[in-house]
Amino acid sequence: MTVVIPDVTVGVLALQGAFSEHVQLLRSASESLALKGAPAQSQVKWSFIEVRTPEELARCDGLIIPGGESTAMSLVAARSGLLEPLRDFVKVLRKPTWGTCAGLILLAESANRTKKGGQDLIGGLDVRVNRNHFGRQVESFQANLQLSFLGDTVDKSANELYRCVFIRAPVVEKILPHKDGVQTEEESREATIVAPSKAPGDKLAEKETTAAVEIMATLPTQTPALQANQEHEHAGTEDIIAVRQGNVFGLSFHPELTADPRIHVWWLGEVSKAVERRHQFEVVDRSAP
Amino acid sequence: MPTELPTSNGHTAQDGENNFAVKAGLARMLKGGVIMDVVNAEQARIAEEAGASAVMALERVPADIRAQGGVARMSDPKMIKEIMETVTIPVMAKARIGHFVECQILEALGVDYIDESEVLTPADAIHHVDKHPYKIPFVCGCRNLGEALRRVSEGAAMIRTKGEAGTGDVIEAVRHMRQVNSDIQRAQAMSSTELYTYAKELGVDYNLLKETAKLGRLPVVNFAAGGVATPADAALMMQLGCDGVFVGSGIFKSGDAAKRAKAIVQAVTHYNDPKVLMEVSMDLGEAMVGINCGDLGEKEKLAKRGW
Repeated sequence: MTVVIPDVTVGVLALQGAFSEHVQLLRSASESLALKGAPAQSQVKWSFIEVRTPEELARCDGLIIPGGESTAMSLVAARSGLLEPLRDFVKVLRKPTWGTCAGLILLAESANRTKKGGQDLIGGLDVRVNRNHFGRQVESFQANLQLSFLGDTVDKSANELYRCVFIRAPVVEKILPHKDGVQTEEESREATIVAPSKAPGDKLAEKETTAAVEIMATLPTQTPALQANQEHEHAGTEDIIAVRQGNVFGLSFHPELTADPRIHVWWLGEVSKAVERRHQFEVVDRSAP
Repeated sequence: MPTELPTSNGHTAQDGENNFAVKAGLARMLKGGVIMDVVNAEQARIAEEAGASAVMALERVPADIRAQGGVARMSDPKMIKEIMETVTIPVMAKARIGHFVECQILEALGVDYIDESEVLTPADAIHHVDKHPYKIPFVCGCRNLGEALRRVSEGAAMIRTKGEAGTGDVIEAVRHMRQVNSDIQRAQAMSSTELYTYAKELGVDYNLLKETAKLGRLPVVNFAAGGVATPADAALMMQLGCDGVFVGSGIFKSGDAAKRAKAIVQAVTHYNDPKVLMEVSMDLGEAMVGINCGDLGEKEKLAKRGW
């Protein structure tokens, strides 16, 4: 039986920040997939769009929230009528969503060191994120790391190191137990903000919410590039810099600041799988009495 | 409309140098945003709440520097520090052209970006600061492609138009952006033989010029600055190809600063949507009074500073 994969649209939230860079890498990743991908994947017809309105978001099967200033993005999202549609996209429809740096902050259920009065979060990942964890720009750095979530491209294999650029980067400070409602314990913590809760839209979406938080990558605090740039004591032995939970994926660093599309290749593979699951689910759903 | 800036920074060769990718990377994070001049912590909070992607901390906004005259220098580090402690968004600060010790002080303070700015009184009549050795990235102003690429070779990780600061008149910012664009278009139409001569004429590095011609845009993030006072001004600069906008005196010299600041932020995100621009332009109260650039004497023009 041949599986017909529909056209897949991936959006990049274009309110502020490095959205154009993600679109460029998505294009380059889809070229790599077409050249090297599995037969099923090479059949996908990808479109990549910038998302600034609820109408544009509604067209998307997957979404990237880029690096930028998370406070600016969440304020502009609220004023552009996008905040609730974004929460629906991530938490009700449970469509694949990937956040880098500022995007990771927005996708966390809990965050600290936010601006006075807090900021609006989208949520989706049961984690607490510590903003500007490494400090200011003078403490920004890059490190070559081995990552488990890379795809092959035409000129680079998944085993090669990936250059991770950390700019005033956040990290995942704590993995939280999943709650059906709001993260109430987090809410009672001082100077910590939480995302509002949303019920999943259907059975398939519900399944995504039962997934545990997977730690996808950590950064040893002994990393020379990190040590060389740190002006203050850095606690602990490692920091969590990549997590996934069901449909939501978050990174503290910026793949969009490299010319290396291997994470995008891997993630597009995940998106096409999710689109296929949704398709199968709806076929079964429709044929049910 | 902003042209794509390839993720390799256009000149990969500089990537290894003092973390150029990290320095130019922060500028990319500011794109599509508004950087606002603020003179105290209270204004910084208003800017942050309005959705500014960064603030520029300085003692006097350009309109006041213009009105009061005298020598304009780097701001008191204590005042900058207070702003850094008040907001979580990046904080930039200005140093005088060529004043490398002011830059060292700002680096020790830990600001996120240094603006080597013609708005302050220049400290060196010939040289700009060698910006490569600093860990803090620099933004510099330009009136044309020659100035822009000279600043990039000196290590600037971000460029802005000079415009005419403190006037509320956008004409010079438009002139500078159009000049950069037309210089680049000229370079694009040239053979490599002609490019050598053009590089000599502009006084820039040949390889950087060649790279720029290939990209069809500046090889680093390029913001508008100098005279932006309304949401429409901001969207105008975005449609001309800027990656984001600096607003100096335009916000806190207007009637309702918070409302105008929010409106300009919305206008930069939705710069291509006239309906949104129409909505955010409504009922903003009084804009800054402003000075007609045409009425300025040649000696009063700040944009002429820098070489």
